Amino acid sequence: MTDVTVAALPAPRSIWSLRFEKFRGHRLAMYALVFLVLLTALCLMAWPLSQYLGIDPNKTNLLARFKAPSAQHWLGTDDLGRDVLIRLMYGGQVSIAVGLLATFLMTILGVAVGVTSGFLGGRTDAILMRLTDCMIALPLIPLLIVLGAVDLTKLGLSAAAASSPLFIFLRIVVIIALVDWTTMARIARAGAIQMRDRDYVRAATVAGARRRYNVLVHVLPNISTPLIVAATLTVGRVILLESTLSFLGFGIVPPTPTWGNMLTNAQQLIISAPHLAVYPGLLIFATVMAVNFVGDGVRYAFDPRAENEGRSH
Amino acid sequence: MSDPLLEIDRLSVHIPMRGKGLLAPSVKLRAVDEVSLTMQRGETLAIVGESGSGKSTLGYVVAGLREQTGGSLRITPSRPHQIGRKPVQIIFQDPFSALDPRMTVEDIIGEPLRLAGQDRRTRRARVLEVLEQVGMPADAAQRYPHQFSGGQRQRLAIARALIGDPELIVADEPLSALDVSIQSKILNLMSDIKERHGISYFFISHDFGVVRHLADRVAVLYLGRLMELAPADEIFANPAHPYTIALMEAVPRIGRGRRKRGQVLKGEIPTPLNPPSGCVFHTRCPRATAICSTDRPHLLPLASRPAQLAACHHKE
Amino acid sequence: MLRYTLSRLSQAILVTFVMSFLLFMLIGLMPGDPLENMLEGNPSLTPELISQMRELYGLDQSVFVRYWNWLGAALGGDLGYSSLYFRPVTDVLFPAMIQTVKLMGLTLLVSVPLALLLGSLAARKPNGFIDSAVGVFSFASISLPNFWVSLLLIILFSVKLGWLPASGTPLSAAPTALEQVRHMILPVAVLAMFHVGPLVRYVRASMIETLSADFVRTARAKGLGEGSVMIGHALRNALIPMVTVLALSFGSLFSGALVVETIFGMLGMGKMIYDAIGNIDFNLALVGLLLATIVTLLSNLLADLAYALLDPRITL
Repeated sequence: MTDVTVAALPAPRSIWSLRFEKFRGHRLAMYALVFLVLLTALCLMAWPLSQYLGIDPNKTNLLARFKAPSAQHWLGTDDLGRDVLIRLMYGGQVSIAVGLLATFLMTILGVAVGVTSGFLGGRTDAILMRLTDCMIALPLIPLLIVLGAVDLTKLGLSAAAASSPLFIFLRIVVIIALVDWTTMARIARAGAIQMRDRDYVRAATVAGARRRYNVLVHVLPNISTPLIVAATLTVGRVILLESTLSFLGFGIVPPTPTWGNMLTNAQQLIISAPHLAVYPGLLIFATVMAVNFVGDGVRYAFDPRAENEGRSH
Repeated sequence: MSDPLLEIDRLSVHIPMRGKGLLAPSVKLRAVDEVSLTMQRGETLAIVGESGSGKSTLGYVVAGLREQTGGSLRITPSRPHQIGRKPVQIIFQDPFSALDPRMTVEDIIGEPLRLAGQDRRTRRARVLEVLEQVGMPADAAQRYPHQFSGGQRQRLAIARALIGDPELIVADEPLSALDVSIQSKILNLMSDIKERHGISYFFISHDFGVVRHLADRVAVLYLGRLMELAPADEIFANPAHPYTIALMEAVPRIGRGRRKRGQVLKGEIPTPLNPPSGCVFHTRCPRATAICSTDRPHLLPLASRPAQLAACHHKE
Repeated sequence: MLRYTLSRLSQAILVTFVMSFLLFMLIGLMPGDPLENMLEGNPSLTPELISQMRELYGLDQSVFVRYWNWLGAALGGDLGYSSLYFRPVTDVLFPAMIQTVKLMGLTLLVSVPLALLLGSLAARKPNGFIDSAVGVFSFASISLPNFWVSLLLIILFSVKLGWLPASGTPLSAAPTALEQVRHMILPVAVLAMFHVGPLVRYVRASMIETLSADFVRTARAKGLGEGSVMIGHALRNALIPMVTVLALSFGSLFSGALVVETIFGMLGMGKMIYDAIGNIDFNLALVGLLLATIVTLLSNLLADLAYALLDPRITL
């Protein structure tokens, strides 16, 4: 019986270890990742720092408006006398949290719809696709504004709950996820359609696999590549959406700081304190750009062409 | 004579397709049309035909991947049902898409047992057993498909088919995507397995050379219909159906002198959406006469060699 | 083709009705009494009439009935009164629509040729200086918040340099053409900046593909000048599918216009919607949003049709 020489076998390399190594080679993405980690860590220092400096970031002090940077206020104060730096840090927490959470929600929703639609096909596919098409018909910002303006007490929620900061935060996360999940759904559906005809899925079916098994074990891991790339880029898009919405006044409202709403008054202050318009926007830009670089690195690392090492043709 | 392993009776797979335009009625694609045959235990039946003949579709029905639209199919395992036993398994043509790139070889091969609920330790032991049976080293189990060549992957696919202790393996052109030098190795492996485990193959192929080596009986399909069904040595020595003859003539023979002037098929293969009337082959058949375009011939034994069946009005 | 158009059109109409209902429900969920609000803006309604109508249409009427009433009136041309402006909604929205069309039109006038130019230049020397610069630019355009860029430009050009006005609407009652243009420069610049990004990437990719195609090599071999090759052949091929990309970008262009109109104080559709929702003007918000939806739907429809028309592989 013919045998295969042991020496010819290379050491086990999982796909993930291959990918991580490729990502490390993409310098820009690595720097961006480091930047994001540092930024997040910095933003999380908001509370300790405020304790150390003895500052309440939401307390207005009209006698201390527009102060220049000092030992007490490292970046000075804003138009209501509040410390700028600490508010930026808290704002960062909110923006990053919204970015991650909304993306997570969107991915789950989009993948659920997309995979069901693509793998099951037929009528289910047709119906779900019509639904997705409906959603795509709406321009994002106007729709977000309407959803942001909805008065939830009319739906039975108590007034106290509806105005709590946590609730406002969750609401933003939910409406952004509701409005933008279709991108993930399309990607998931395209992948699932391809998977239907894969031989290893068929082999599993012959061996007794039902649809749910095939979806969980074969389909999801194999469509993860485009989904992960898209999810990474989505985080950036969500941060932009949230800050736009908050800027317009329909997202997270003061006193809770977010980079977007710290710019709301910037227009009126343009003559007296233009620098206040720079910091929040710069942070949004830097964060989103870093996320996009990481996304680029992820796309590069997950490039399937490089995953077929060792193939002999 | 014990029960046949596989019985197919007038099996059809007619796929409705939407006709063009609002008013056209839906047309049926006759992928498989009233095929009947049986397989005995331990027998290798080769299904031969051009692309579009329906052989893959037939194989998928036998493997349980597809439902037939007419006729019946029955598989009678000889051994009683046991946990982890899968009487019918399948091997595919393309070794590069047959194995899930995200899973280790051990998980891939062990999947049929995992689906049957067996625990990890039992599975691992069986995986190592079948790896040896297909000539792969034990430490292949921790590796990933992309670390292996085409021929090696096909071995792994065969191992996966073997782990469920099957009686029937549907092999859909398992050698077509492999390099010629590898083909013979895999063919020998399949032949060994057949002898050691008494496994039957439902072997789909378009390559007569390969078929000759492995098959006990041969079935020839054209446009979803069975043209000829005969023991291997008889069909190679004396093909009866004009289509079979033409197929064999088309096999290039290197170093055997000029190809003798045999029959040449005229015309193109018709569309299975609207097959010719009567005998589907009559539009290209050198022996065709009037009756061939009106009456569909049945698969009947030759007078001189009753083990050989052909569906032709002029088979002798 | 006609059939496809009609089917997509009827789908779009269906979606419009569904969306109108959804929007009606959503708007009704805004703070405040929808019924009172809707009637408030109508100066000819006395309090007695209002309470009579309240009885007739009543708040305890389900949303479906209220929607039905609204739909009936709307289809008859009565879109209600704006409680913010005390005028019929149509009187308010029509000039706003013109303003937005002007803004979006000017943006397209700038962004499309710019995208074509930059994309072609980038494609001529991939990885060259222009290509890298274009790459950086388009990367930045998806990372920058458009409202922040607007503010920065206002700071720079209005406050610091004093070259351009900070508002998009001229103050005088009868502005000259030059004044109007001056006021539009910053808003259009911002919108165009963000609109060019995705377009230029498409043009570049498309041109690179076309430039390496055989027929271009033939043209070059024929001795045609570089300019002729670029414009005559390559660009023309890239241009046609760009219609699809362009049509699909209308949704985000409108979203961007909303933000820009708000910052620069321009009385366009976007600002109308923003004010309407901010000031709880039900009728104006509803009709404004519906119009925005219809525009986006139509542009998606256009994209589908253009794509189907131009892709020879799709048979209709």
